[in-house]
Amino acid sequence: MHLRLDHVTKRFGDTAAVDDISFEVPRGSFATLLGPSGCGKTTTLRMIAGFYDPDHGDIVLGGKRINELPAHRRGTAMVFQDYALFPHMTVKGNVSYGLRVARVPAADRERRVTDILQFVGLAGLGDRWPNQLSGGQQQRVAVGRALVLEPQILLLDEPLSNLDAKLRVQLRWELRALQQRLGMTFVYVTHDQDEALSLSDWIAVMNAGKVEQAGTPWEIYYHPRTSFLADFVGAVNLVPGTVREVRGEEVVVAFGERAVTVRRPSGLALSVGREVHLCVRPEALALRPASADPDGVRLPGVVARRAFLGDLMRYWVTVDGREWIVDQPDPGAAADFDGPVTVAVKPERIHVIAE
Amino acid sequence: MRSLQREPGVLLALLAVIALVAMFIVYPQVRVVLTPGSAYVDFLSAGSWKTPLLNSLQVMALSTTTAVLIGFVFAYAMVYTDMRWKPLFRLIGILPLLSPPFVVAASYILLFGPRGVITYGVFGQTISIFGLAGIWGVQTIAFFPFAYQLIADVLSRSDARMEQAARNLGAGPWSVFRTVTLPLSRPGLGAAILTTAIYVLEDFGNPALVGGQFTVLPTQAYGLISGFGDLPSAAAVSTILLSLALLLYVAKIRLDGGQSFVTVSGRASSMPRPPVPPWLSWACFAVCGALCGMILLVYGSLVVSAFTLTFPVNTAFTTSHFEYVFSGVNGVALRNTLVYGLSAAAFSSVFALLAAWLVQRGAWSGRRVLDFLLIMPAAVPGLFFGIGYATAFNEQWLDWLNRGVLIIISMIFWNIPVGYQAAVAGLRQIDRSMDEAATSLGASSLRGFRDVLLPMLGGSLRVGFVTTFVRAVTTLSVVIFLFTPGTTVATIRIFQLVNDLDWGGATAFTVIDIGLAIVALSVMAVLARGRIALGASRA
Amino acid sequence: MTPQLDRRTFLKGLGVVTVAAACGGAATPTATATAAATSAATSAPTAAPVTGTISVYSALNQSTNDQFFAAFKTAYPGVSIDLLPLAAAGELQTRITAEKASPKADIFIGGSSEFHDPLGKQGLLEAYISPNAKDIAAQFKEPTGLWTGWYTGIFGFISNNDRLTKELAGKKPATWDDLLDPAWKGKLILPSPTLTGGGYIFIATQIFRFNRDEDKAMAYMKSLHANIAQYVATSPGALTLIDQGQFVGCPNWSHDILTEKGKGNPVDLTVPTDTGFEVGAISIVKGTKNLPAAKALVDWSITKVAGELNVKLSNRGSVRTDVAAAPGSPSLTSVKLVNYDRQWATDNKTRLLQKWQTTVGL
Repeated sequence: MHLRLDHVTKRFGDTAAVDDISFEVPRGSFATLLGPSGCGKTTTLRMIAGFYDPDHGDIVLGGKRINELPAHRRGTAMVFQDYALFPHMTVKGNVSYGLRVARVPAADRERRVTDILQFVGLAGLGDRWPNQLSGGQQQRVAVGRALVLEPQILLLDEPLSNLDAKLRVQLRWELRALQQRLGMTFVYVTHDQDEALSLSDWIAVMNAGKVEQAGTPWEIYYHPRTSFLADFVGAVNLVPGTVREVRGEEVVVAFGERAVTVRRPSGLALSVGREVHLCVRPEALALRPASADPDGVRLPGVVARRAFLGDLMRYWVTVDGREWIVDQPDPGAAADFDGPVTVAVKPERIHVIAE
Repeated sequence: MRSLQREPGVLLALLAVIALVAMFIVYPQVRVVLTPGSAYVDFLSAGSWKTPLLNSLQVMALSTTTAVLIGFVFAYAMVYTDMRWKPLFRLIGILPLLSPPFVVAASYILLFGPRGVITYGVFGQTISIFGLAGIWGVQTIAFFPFAYQLIADVLSRSDARMEQAARNLGAGPWSVFRTVTLPLSRPGLGAAILTTAIYVLEDFGNPALVGGQFTVLPTQAYGLISGFGDLPSAAAVSTILLSLALLLYVAKIRLDGGQSFVTVSGRASSMPRPPVPPWLSWACFAVCGALCGMILLVYGSLVVSAFTLTFPVNTAFTTSHFEYVFSGVNGVALRNTLVYGLSAAAFSSVFALLAAWLVQRGAWSGRRVLDFLLIMPAAVPGLFFGIGYATAFNEQWLDWLNRGVLIIISMIFWNIPVGYQAAVAGLRQIDRSMDEAATSLGASSLRGFRDVLLPMLGGSLRVGFVTTFVRAVTTLSVVIFLFTPGTTVATIRIFQLVNDLDWGGATAFTVIDIGLAIVALSVMAVLARGRIALGASRA
Repeated sequence: MTPQLDRRTFLKGLGVVTVAAACGGAATPTATATAAATSAATSAPTAAPVTGTISVYSALNQSTNDQFFAAFKTAYPGVSIDLLPLAAAGELQTRITAEKASPKADIFIGGSSEFHDPLGKQGLLEAYISPNAKDIAAQFKEPTGLWTGWYTGIFGFISNNDRLTKELAGKKPATWDDLLDPAWKGKLILPSPTLTGGGYIFIATQIFRFNRDEDKAMAYMKSLHANIAQYVATSPGALTLIDQGQFVGCPNWSHDILTEKGKGNPVDLTVPTDTGFEVGAISIVKGTKNLPAAKALVDWSITKVAGELNVKLSNRGSVRTDVAAAPGSPSLTSVKLVNYDRQWATDNKTRLLQKWQTTVGL
């Protein structure tokens, strides 16, 4: 393991910004701390960087406890949300700053700065001042400035949040490609679930100072352990229900007048009568004409409204007085639905959340 | 505290700052106050300080208000408008800082007194400028440049994006000013008001010359020292002044209210400030023009006096005053003035920045105490400060110490508050991520401070440097108990000439003193610009 | 040539002498200085040559300092003077007090004896009875030699000619009581009694004028207060204000008034009856590192030569009966003085000033 946090707590006054969290990040992985603002993700990142001292717990980097190591000796370069470019230094000045601090010889320094500028796509802009650059370029300077030091680990604090949507997506891929090329460990903080899902090898979703769940994007998205989490990482249908029967690896969950047999989530002990939520992603549902009789679970309903999102059509369908979100891909390929419809879902696409 | 142990450099710097403050700010004051005898208590219980206290408060309220208002208009005009003649106004605006107050006040009397060259000579009016009105007027002119310097520094660092945003939301220029510019400049304004208020409170020269029978605390303290040799009672008056300063300080803390005013975040912006309407530019031009006209009149009269035999009685042209100024001991005094002023300004402004950084960015307990101690000297009457030094450091075992060094040290620490206030205001406008960026790139806190914050605080540094320099070269009261024959300074010589009734010599000396100060400041400005450019291209 | 220009030219010449002397080189005396030196040498009692450097705190005017100490140097070529000039005796007194842990002054010269006497009482002065002091009347010296008086100054009244004629029908005060005339209201100023030696001597003079009836004197000061526009922080500062005509009149030092008049200012001097006077003193600061040289300066200051030079330079009087007053200036014998008990006035200074402050409400 490259980075390990062990029962780390940080309090500000009476509130615990980070409350007894533990996780591990393997070497060379792209790890993301995801959560709404105020969840403690930035505080966690800043503790790794050494800007805050944890009140309890250990931070271990490369097998070494770094709690007592001053921030500037940790080798944890950071990319800041506002980039924190030094306005009185040129692009080159910013990028070479860390090398100058480390007393890298001038010739070597020059070469590495040129290389890194090339690498982040800023070749030829070295003599510009930060205020002469676009937002995307400033972001690249910030990344280049951190990367040039070849740090053990790169910390990124919402580095894309100040950019426009298209650029954000483009730079997202660039960051991911960069990380894979370098094989470096990235710890990335964001509140944007798309970003987190698309970039990460591993995600820890934080809420109120705690890690709600950590795992691969796939696990987080399809097998959330809490309804908060299910809701936070994407559009979801959360339907309250009750466990009626437990049969080995399967459970029967009653919701409203209906019941469905689904797979029991591994490691989750469920007893009869337990209140649960059924969790279904909108794209796992399909719309059929009211008369159709598809396999799996069939839910008769009425289309309440719909929204055209380009790559898909989103429907809100009223079933037993409750609205379900249903996404139909490739809207251009089929006619729109209206009025009474049947919502179809395969039982294996339904996930049970025990709360 | 743990983070301090982790960075021995910072810990060392902090200990050094605390030691210096204890030695050169606290200890001398304590030495004076601890003069044996019960006179201190007797004086306080006798209550003869009550009227001067009320007078001081009244003068402080009036002069601070007008000085800050005018300083704000001046700063606003300089930063926001495209008013013409800005460089000229900037230069003239700084003149009141550059001359010993007692010369200027004397010049005011000459021009605007009951038989003033202007009031009586031109307008035929006999008005009395002595008393509260006189103090108010003269202090406004004398202290608005301090407010102007501090406010301009803050305004120029405020982020144009915020103002653009407000304009975009439909706010007119006035409402942008009221709802965005003003609140954003609050820490700077707080600092400016506090600093100005304390200077007004501490001002001795002006009330002494135009105060009439209106006694304020510093004139009372001066009377006790100079007339009665009564140091304990003077210490009591000084304590009252310090208590007022403490109150102002607490008020300032409340005012700032712990809000964040960060406007330099490191996300670069090249957005220009929204234009102000032409009428506003012209209004600012009119106000600045009128003010500068008044200042020019006063300084013009100094120049005229310097070149005439006995102005205004005998206005025959002569250069004899200047010949006298350049002879003998006077040259030494001029040289000392420059050397002391520049050294004190350099050390004081850098030390103030370092101290401000430790207080503002540090997370150790006791910051508030250090914060107050660094503002406190502004409330100590210069005379008292000087006596403190003369008492505390005039020890036989210290006789090896060159007196010039002691004078420089006294100037450094007496003037710490200006640079410190400017630095705190500046630091509060720079996001912590700037420091952290440097740290995460491997720079120690001290290194980051030097490489990143220091250059960005150029404005604050300049304010600290300029004001310390001008206060150092214009102070009489601090050096009057410290100077020796070889370490005499211009203000001492000018004071001597004024007391010798040699108005021509005194004005000639003042003109040269101001000229030298302007030259010195200009050279420093050019050098500083060169250094920053150099630092930037070093990459 | 105007007198002003004359003085400048002369001072410049002297500056050269002072600098040369300070550098330890042989001075090239001007004609005046040579004359002074010759006569000083005859009256100097010291047999062995006095050498070394002394630090002198001087409250004298700059012009007096320059020539007075140059003349001393010619009389005692072996002695160099480190001059600390500050025409504010109160500051010098405070300074000597503040420096008592490690005295920096050898000599305190100039300023009324009121500034020297408290230092002596605090044990900060070295008692020295100069052999030359035998020529000086007892009222001008401290009996144990803590300080020695060497010049006198008489309190007079300066008025601005133009305004006096227009606003007070040219009537100068014949007595101090004349100043209570309401016609003077707002037109009078007075050197601050608390801040200046002269201001206090003015109050003390009133007390002696009323035969030490303090209540009457205070009643007088209270009535006078109504006419006074400002208590000026320095005595010379008050003279400037009258020169400019900002105010009409001011009790002040006769010798300084004459000097101002001599410069061509439209002012005049009058000395009301029952006036007071100061005794300008010189004293040796305890802890001096060069007692012989300090003694030499005291000895020399009360010689006839020094007295005459000072009279010429400053219009002040001399404590020596064989030194004539400056032309046109009042002398202790030509004006009617109050019976001024200097010791009593000095001893009661703080008490009387506080009483005065309470009386007038300052």
